[in-house]
Amino acid sequence: MKDERQITAIQSAAILVSTIIGVGVLALPLFAVRAGESGAPLVTVVSVLLAFVGLAVISLLGMRFPNKSITQYSEDIIGKWPGRIGSALIIAYFAVLSALTAREFGEVVITSVLTRTPLEVTVIVMLLLAALATRNSVTTFAYIHHFYFPLLLFPALLIVALSLKNAEGLNLQPMWGNVSWVRPEMVEGILTITALFQGSFIMTTVIPAMRRPEKALTASAWAMLIAGGLYVTIVAATVGVFGSEEIKNLLWPTLELAKGTSLPANVLERLDAAFLAVWVTAVFTTLFSSYFFTIKEASKLFRLGDHKMFSFFLLPAVYVMAMLPRSILHMYEIIENFGRIGLIFTIAYPLMLWLIALVRRKRGSQ
Amino acid sequence: MFAARTAKTIKLLLVIFMVVPVLTGCWDRLEIEERAVVLGISVDLEKPEAAKEESDVSHLRGAFPVPHQRLLRVAVQIALPGRIPLGPGEGGGGGGGGSEGTVWVIDVVGHTLDDALMNLQQQVSGRIFFGHLRVIVVSEAFARHGMQNLNDYLRRNPEVRRMAWMMISKGSALEVMKAAPELERVPSLYLMSTLDNAVRLGKFPVNYVGMFWSNTSKKGQEAFLPYVEIHKEQNIQVKGMAIFKNDNMVGSTMPFDIASYMVVKGINPAGYRGFVPIGSNPEQTVTIYATSRKSSIKASIRNGKPYFKVSVFTEINMEEKISEQFSVNSSEVLKEIEDNNRRALTKACENLIEKTQKAQSDIFGFGEYVRAKLPNYWNKKVITKEAWQKMYQDVDVEIAISTRMRRVGMKAK
Amino acid sequence: MLRRPRKPRKSASSNVQDHSLDQALEQTQDKLLGKELAQTEHFFTNLLGINNDFVIRRFHVFGRHPAVMCYYANMVDQALINKDILKPFMYVPSHLEGKDFGLEQLPEVLLNDAIYHSACKLERSIEALVNAILQGNTIVIVDGLEEAFLIDTRNIDKRSIDTPATEQVIRGPREGFIELLGTNISLLRYRLQTSDLRIRTMEIGRRTKSKVAVCYMEGITNPDLVAEVDKRLSKIDIDAVLDSGYLEQFIEDNHYSPFPQVQYMERPDKVAANLLEGRVAIMVDGSPMALVVPTVFNQFYQTVEDFTERFLLMSALRLARLIALMFSLVFPSLYVAIISFNPELIPTEFAVAVAGGRAGVPFPAIIEVLVIEISMEVLREATIRLPQQVGGALSIVGVLVVGQAAVSAGFASPITVVIIALTTIGSFATPAYNAALALRLLRFPLIIMAGIFGLYGVMIGLIVIANHILSLKSFGVPYMSPLVPGNFEGMKDTVIRAPFTWMRKRPSFLFPQDRTRLSSQTANDQAASKGSPLNPLKFKEERKDTEE
Repeated sequence: MKDERQITAIQSAAILVSTIIGVGVLALPLFAVRAGESGAPLVTVVSVLLAFVGLAVISLLGMRFPNKSITQYSEDIIGKWPGRIGSALIIAYFAVLSALTAREFGEVVITSVLTRTPLEVTVIVMLLLAALATRNSVTTFAYIHHFYFPLLLFPALLIVALSLKNAEGLNLQPMWGNVSWVRPEMVEGILTITALFQGSFIMTTVIPAMRRPEKALTASAWAMLIAGGLYVTIVAATVGVFGSEEIKNLLWPTLELAKGTSLPANVLERLDAAFLAVWVTAVFTTLFSSYFFTIKEASKLFRLGDHKMFSFFLLPAVYVMAMLPRSILHMYEIIENFGRIGLIFTIAYPLMLWLIALVRRKRGSQ
Repeated sequence: MFAARTAKTIKLLLVIFMVVPVLTGCWDRLEIEERAVVLGISVDLEKPEAAKEESDVSHLRGAFPVPHQRLLRVAVQIALPGRIPLGPGEGGGGGGGGSEGTVWVIDVVGHTLDDALMNLQQQVSGRIFFGHLRVIVVSEAFARHGMQNLNDYLRRNPEVRRMAWMMISKGSALEVMKAAPELERVPSLYLMSTLDNAVRLGKFPVNYVGMFWSNTSKKGQEAFLPYVEIHKEQNIQVKGMAIFKNDNMVGSTMPFDIASYMVVKGINPAGYRGFVPIGSNPEQTVTIYATSRKSSIKASIRNGKPYFKVSVFTEINMEEKISEQFSVNSSEVLKEIEDNNRRALTKACENLIEKTQKAQSDIFGFGEYVRAKLPNYWNKKVITKEAWQKMYQDVDVEIAISTRMRRVGMKAK
Repeated sequence: MLRRPRKPRKSASSNVQDHSLDQALEQTQDKLLGKELAQTEHFFTNLLGINNDFVIRRFHVFGRHPAVMCYYANMVDQALINKDILKPFMYVPSHLEGKDFGLEQLPEVLLNDAIYHSACKLERSIEALVNAILQGNTIVIVDGLEEAFLIDTRNIDKRSIDTPATEQVIRGPREGFIELLGTNISLLRYRLQTSDLRIRTMEIGRRTKSKVAVCYMEGITNPDLVAEVDKRLSKIDIDAVLDSGYLEQFIEDNHYSPFPQVQYMERPDKVAANLLEGRVAIMVDGSPMALVVPTVFNQFYQTVEDFTERFLLMSALRLARLIALMFSLVFPSLYVAIISFNPELIPTEFAVAVAGGRAGVPFPAIIEVLVIEISMEVLREATIRLPQQVGGALSIVGVLVVGQAAVSAGFASPITVVIIALTTIGSFATPAYNAALALRLLRFPLIIMAGIFGLYGVMIGLIVIANHILSLKSFGVPYMSPLVPGNFEGMKDTVIRAPFTWMRKRPSFLFPQDRTRLSSQTANDQAASKGSPLNPLKFKEERKDTEE
């Protein structure tokens, strides 16, 4: 057990950032603009704050029970069977989330790059990759995220920086958009974007393996700052370059942003293929996290010694779920709806757990 | 929990599972020499009689639901592999200078763009590949007819890049596509470099097809495209801007109007020359060219209507003097030149603005200023693109230009 | 030539390490020498007499007691035997002339007064005596004595110390290890003239009985590491250890990975440097390669010059080496991916020209690349086996002429040849052969993935490789230390080589006991400006004074 507590605060921040930056970053500006038009960056900021609330609650819960993950301490807080049901629901939700992530990834790849490859193949390859990688321990999990984190962050920042020379400030004004903020679309948009941050739930599995769990909150704050900042920057860049109306025409505005960027002196022209390469890594880390969470928590729920058995066992189920949506538009509808429902699990449920823990003065062993 | 044998079978199945994606082959592999790399596309409107030429590829003849879609003639310029050598003309067949046969221009007819391209694919051996599409030439007739179909197809296709140039040709677009001037090896690249150089020399604002689409979508702005004409040496001249209202072309401007546009928007580098008379004697004229511009547009509401004040600052240098009857050797003379230039430029800009107002096409994007800076007014009075198009006819624009003349070249007088 | 280890015997001592007993000696286990000379002589003759180089020499000790001397003629120093063994055995030492001593005092007299060879001892066990002969020592059995004399006379012809063949260096020592363990140890000792250097030997290999030396620095190396190395080595029970590579395969953490977790080196200065960082070195008699554990990925692109030359320039060169390493892995697959799947990435004129270059080639890009890659590998293997003069010419001929001919024949496109040539050269830039090998061969799966899925396939392949590397551990040290987990101090020696004054502490991923390398005093002194004894201004003043 001693060498299981190896994850530093920096690594946990890296885990969070690379988990959050994932498949949703492509469609993000579209959601934001549908909600707030030229006020899209502000909408994103609001979503980031909301997501941070959820993440803060999870970190606080984890700091209260530094040796347990959510499946374990939820049983302590609200009792054995309610806790188990709650955990089972969350695990099922994350399994669905993994399936949807893999599916969205497959859709983007076969629409924009590999047009004749069957969808099944792209999805299977990505799921297999994630399954293979989840056979390692949580320390290797941290190493993998730590390694990929700069590889994700810097190209993303580079592309955003290079694209800014085409941006017009006028596109970003007025800052709160030309539409009222009390429309239902606004609420939907904010919730959908917040749902993009749900991968941060992995923190509940990471905290028990952290060297110094008391630093969890700072790590979360930093991670949210970086990932949220990146998301806001991406939205601002896309809106600045295209204008909010044009974005409504584009299914994946971030991809178009990368397509229109070129390195100085036209060394490489269309950077979208390179951007997709980086994005594959981002999707892998996200899928890796959510699948790892599913497996690890499932193994804790069933009181099993290690989680390796589940990694291939659950794979067919996840694959079948990934293949269920009938079309790309259907898939996006499901993602939006499920994402919003999932916020109940990822924000409301931990909030409730935390409040009950405060009231009942439950604490874990230090 | 699992028996050892079950575990083994599962592992075996898993290995097969993993190998299957690999064994079924590479679906998207298409060698570069098997692709027909399309460098340029041209779209013309065609008379209905030409439907005879059409092959029954996507539909039976006469059975196509044709509301007001007319026939199109689409031509593509395909790069011939090996005929475009890198380096000083070695390798491949031709040799011996010139762009003899570096590309192949082929045209077909169809009802829509995709229909025409399907007909085309029937006739071309490689798979058509748009990844290197650099120029799209559209004839004026087609532009006036409406470009929705073209825009839609190009937007959906993932291979098309937003950095391509779209241009409107006066006359047949097919001729433009076939033009093969001797300056460059590849005609489409010639077209592309004409426009890129125009941007670099300050003769045209940057306006790739991506920006064209963005401008078309914006509520408070209309788009424009370069308006070109082919000359007898098979070279292309940029004859001004083609201005649009929604997806239809509604007018065109003179080349000098491009300068006015760039002045109002403050686009650098500045490349236009102008004649400025000193006094009333036509012999006393100098040619100046602008080196840089700065402009700011302020929007406000006067009398319930939007009112715009455009403040421009330009720097000019003198390039040539028409005759030796007068000297340019003191700063008063320069000041006079500046004043005259200011008046001329203001008049030119006002002309252009009037022209666009008549056509209900706000290519300057004044509407965007209203939307962005005066959101309350916009949200109440305007809201939609159509409303702004109507309102644009009546707005007032005041132009205040200040000029500074800096240099006169290397001659002292 | 590795043979499978034999099944353990069913005797009581079979649980313990049983290195020493050869087939012929099965009967004599634990037997001791008897007093009867004739019997003993008979035994040795039966055992080893069939070998032509086995010598049995009868003589009389001090003229009276019959004795027998046995040795292998080719493994001993003949002069030594004549002068320092036979002679003192035969003649009574001068200060003991005339004294009479009986048989019981003989061993003491001989040992203390007569024999003046430094390495001489008494031995009773037959097993040990036989082993001694096999190692090139001499035994002298005296009639009536229960113990025999065992004298160290081992002298095997060895090659001279030469420039290491696999690790050429511009600035740095040019000594390399040779096969004999004794010489190697001496090379190491004179570089680390401290009593902290500990060298422990053990014997591994039933039939080769090779001496294996484990070296470490007491006070620096973590004792847990040393204990683990000992444990892993002691578990090895094989027939032969012909090279250190055999040991490597047994002590590695993950034998199935393409990446080496044990590094080998032929240079004593490199071994000394690694020992000083807190690693453990393993040397085997008969092999010029020393193993150093634990290994991290960083070490594969570092060379000796990095530390002996200026740090700015060598940092740039290290960066170049790292890029070459990455290139040798991904370049061909990137080429295949771009040409076959995503030609929109390259500038238009170039894309069309490449299409032109490929127009006459009958195969798709991936087949072409695979064929040329495989031919390149074959060529490389061939050039290693050829003698020096022909080998150099063939590599140039092979690459240029065959490549050019292939292009003219329309078999390959010129760009493919350029890419493959650059890749091969890139892989030569990696200093460590085993790592270069790993990356060289990992190219092939990547090319296949690129051929199926394009750029996306290359990324998937790279992710699989990266994940694998990140999960590797060498004796508990994560393979990508100090990058992952982040250790700032260690990072000063990764892509760049920071000046010594910045690297005051040893890298912590080896958990050394003594962390300081450079005293802060020296670091501060470096910062202070140095004196200028030959300042021209100073001399100008002096000269003016003398002239006046």
